[in-house]
Amino acid sequence: MDLNFFDRLITLIKLPFSSFLTIELLIIFIILYIFCLYNEKRKNKIVKYGFLGLIIFFFSFTFFYFSKDILNVLEEIIKTLMTIFYFPNIIFYILTVLITLGILIYNIFTVKTTKLNKIIIYTLTFLHQFLFVNFLVLAISNNISLIDTANIYQRNDMFIITYFSQIIFIIIILYKLIYHFCYIKKDKLKKDI
Amino acid sequence: MLKRKNKPKSQLFIVGFLCLIIGLLVFFSTPLKKLREEVFENMRLAIFQMQINEDNTTINNIQTENLIVIDGETDSSNNANNSPSYTYIGQLSIPSINFKRGFVSKDSKYNNINYNVTIAKEADYPDVKNGNFILMAHSGNAYISFFDNLYKLEIGAKATVSYEAKTYTYQLVKTYNQPKTGKIAIYRDYTKKTLTLITCTHNDDYNQTIYIFEEI
Repeated sequence: MDLNFFDRLITLIKLPFSSFLTIELLIIFIILYIFCLYNEKRKNKIVKYGFLGLIIFFFSFTFFYFSKDILNVLEEIIKTLMTIFYFPNIIFYILTVLITLGILIYNIFTVKTTKLNKIIIYTLTFLHQFLFVNFLVLAISNNISLIDTANIYQRNDMFIITYFSQIIFIIIILYKLIYHFCYIKKDKLKKDI
Repeated sequence: MLKRKNKPKSQLFIVGFLCLIIGLLVFFSTPLKKLREEVFENMRLAIFQMQINEDNTTINNIQTENLIVIDGETDSSNNANNSPSYTYIGQLSIPSINFKRGFVSKDSKYNNINYNVTIAKEADYPDVKNGNFILMAHSGNAYISFFDNLYKLEIGAKATVSYEAKTYTYQLVKTYNQPKTGKIAIYRDYTKKTLTLITCTHNDDYNQTIYIFEEI
């Protein structure tokens, strides 16, 4: 951790030669890499599907032997996602606010969209911003430190504000994704016709 | 022509996709509920720990000469609006099975087997001399099965109870089963402070297991 950049680089270079297994892995990865590069020239379909099969085999093999560990990792990932959703820390919350602010500004200036889409985005983003302002007002008026996450969530009102903010943020993101997906698809269809 | 052909196919795809999503949600609802409960539990414990730290800081900073007496009613009315759904008064930890969970006071409506590890009505709190602190919880696959790993405990396993800013350490001395009849007999050494954990027997619908811990 306390090494300088060059020491870190040297350690990284030495790492693949530290044991027989790592050398073996390095060779396998280099062969596969060269194989993929070469196939870009040949464009052989069998190689593509073979490579896909190899990846599936590799993951199945890993899952078969390390299923318990993989399930534990998956559990931890889901728990982290749930923690971010239910109890986001202040940095993540501010990040969501900045994203919605960006969407709002883009929505103000864009002309390539429908009125209904604009109204929906205005409603959702303003609601999100309003909740964030309320959150800040509550924190200031009650002198709550926002650094400690537990400090925020010991109050029901703060929890409720962040909870609904997160729901609105997810709705905004999903709506944007679906809208753009449909928009692009429609555009492509029009071009095809 | 092209549109007419594609429409039923795409509709079928959407319906199939929705069915798949609903099916997955139904299938994974119990494990997801359990994980959600764990996430909430971690936050409750973090709040409990923070409150203990705050209490300790306050106790250390008190200067007896400048003590101001606060009216109890006003203080409680101020806290009532902002109090969390339930506040823990203590925490039970069993490191060998990676168990950590808080408990609420006996009077709380959340001192219920459907919400928490529950303190029995007949139990003494851990600070009572030679008392018996009795905790109960479900075991099984449900998300409220807080004691589902107790069966893995071996004699000699350690458990700690944090209560009123003090930690009490116990050691498992015996376990025994009793049929589920609505009544339970606790066999313990009355000259020692004990911790009793009660839950359903693993893979047995008709019995319950009692774990007796003694203070060390």
